[in-house]
Amino acid sequence: MNFRDWNEQQDLTQFLHHEARLLDEHRWDEWQKLFTPDGLYWVPLVHGQVDHLNHASLFCEDALLRSMRARRLEQARAYSQQPPTRTVHVLGNIALESRDDDAVCTVRSTFLLLEWRKTEQRTFGGSVRHTLRRADDGWRIQTKRIDLVNCDAPHEALQVFL
Amino acid sequence: MNSVIPIIPIAATDPIDIQSLVQPDRVHKRVYTDPAIFELEMDRVFGQAWIYIGHESQVPKPGDYFTTRLGREPVVMVRHTDGQVHVMFNRCPHKGAKLVPDGSGSAGKFLRCLYHGWTFKCDGSLLSVPLRSGYECTALDLKDPQYGVRKVARVATHRGFVFASLSEDGPELKEFLGGVATSLDNFCDRAPEGEVEVAGGVQRVVQRNNWKIFFENLHDTIHAVATHESSWRAAKEEHESMPAGTPKPFEVVIVDGNGEPLEFWEKLELKGYDHGHGFMEGIFVPPTDPVSLAYVASLEAAKGAERADEILRVNRHNTIVYPSCSPHTSFQQIRVIRPLSVDRTLVEIFSFRLKGAPEATFQRTLKYTNIVNAPSSNVMSDDLEAYNRVQEGLGSDGGDWVSMHRAAGRDQPLPGGRASNGNSEMPSRNMFAAWAGYMGVDTGVETNEQTGSAE
Ligand code: FES
Ligand SMILES: [Fe+2]
Repeated sequence: MNFRDWNEQQDLTQFLHHEARLLDEHRWDEWQKLFTPDGLYWVPLVHGQVDHLNHASLFCEDALLRSMRARRLEQARAYSQQPPTRTVHVLGNIALESRDDDAVCTVRSTFLLLEWRKTEQRTFGGSVRHTLRRADDGWRIQTKRIDLVNCDAPHEALQVFL
Repeated sequence: MNSVIPIIPIAATDPIDIQSLVQPDRVHKRVYTDPAIFELEMDRVFGQAWIYIGHESQVPKPGDYFTTRLGREPVVMVRHTDGQVHVMFNRCPHKGAKLVPDGSGSAGKFLRCLYHGWTFKCDGSLLSVPLRSGYECTALDLKDPQYGVRKVARVATHRGFVFASLSEDGPELKEFLGGVATSLDNFCDRAPEGEVEVAGGVQRVVQRNNWKIFFENLHDTIHAVATHESSWRAAKEEHESMPAGTPKPFEVVIVDGNGEPLEFWEKLELKGYDHGHGFMEGIFVPPTDPVSLAYVASLEAAKGAERADEILRVNRHNTIVYPSCSPHTSFQQIRVIRPLSVDRTLVEIFSFRLKGAPEATFQRTLKYTNIVNAPSSNVMSDDLEAYNRVQEGLGSDGGDWVSMHRAAGRDQPLPGGRASNGNSEMPSRNMFAAWAGYMGVDTGVETNEQTGSAE
């Protein structure tokens, strides 16, 4: 499905870029406000996973769990954040997957994420599906589903939002 | 640029005098850092003990298989056409190819090697080889059982949990499990139908630490308040930010419990059994949210109120089945510990469904593994950091010994084991007594086997 016009493409692209920047700059409060109250942040554990209730996930966080994670990341004694994780997101292939009506749409993108902590740099990559809902002052995330290329690999700790 | 100090493992050039490395209340750092000791452990500990392989429900139908590692050996668990579960080396007897791919699936009626097409029954016996005539009058006798897939020495099952041993000798599984068999029993008894099944996928976490550090932490109650401060504080703050009187959500309960004061942990009872096993009492008051209440009702409907109450009263946190797994009976998961090298350990987290319980009960199990044990866990990330700092610190020249003195000499005897209060380092001493036994040395910690007081 194509974007309706250049404005719509800009609007959605800028939203995703803004979200990525909030994550890279650890602006967790602002990031959490991008979600609808019942919004879901979800990183499936296996390729093609169909639901988050009957199968374990890498992350499966509602507003409460997102908030608990954000609070933890800011604790002085979050030992596994000494030093804090640094990340940079690179987004690409931003495409409109569906538009239910003017208020809801699904955007698909791909990403590369470079992560640095302590002694090592890690790379994550995959595709993201944002289901967005229009609010008065811009878009809100209803669901952010991140499908990592290596979702089913053994992982070391994943601490920050991808 | 951060300064990165490489940790140089202690060279294992000297012959290892293991006896000199273990004492009743302390161990030498080398047992965690020396690659040669790791190799010996694979032979002597993982080569002798009963090791958890998987659960029968992972291979429900004939031909279904599941691969894993027994120590450093790649093995496969397969269900035969007669319904029996076999554990064998994942190696073709012809030229050695791995017979089934890593993972799980169905082999159909036979196991067929990809390389030259030898086929085997699902119990490993040789069924057919191409060019049979080529073997006539050669030294290779196709009737010789050595041309079947080699089975591990012993396989036994306790209520669906499959264990295997590479050793012909040693105690029977039930005797080996001793006092922790009751944890596996309670795991199943909690199901209205009395059975459990693996479901919902497996999470895998790689840790940068020796496997023993992980086991010791399972019953190291007093680390929680310090190590997990970031997560229990976050959980408490979260609850405080809710309107006054809001009941604590499940997500908060299972995280902020780590913040209990040291006096709380002291009151818990720890049990240690021969062979290194043990368990710790439950730390959560049985929850009274609608999901929990519906589950209790389903258990009462199936077993009657009295029996249900008896089952639910067995309230345990982590159980240690040394040296391979840790069941969590009240949230239905098993963590399987697979040592990869002296400083790398893989932990696999399997979730279980209680047959006959409401679906929401299983979903709560998944919530528990997602929040507490997944790679993304807020709780476990600080454990991993602690284990890694221990591993790195032990690689230094800052000291030779690791202390396990806390409450030494104050254990109470139990049939087949010993009990201590919740903040004792008895579980570590108990595991090292078993470890030393496997490794062929004596720590001086009395086991009931030695004193002959086992049940
Ligand atoms: S290696 Fe398996 S058939 Fe040849
Ligand atoms: Fe911990």
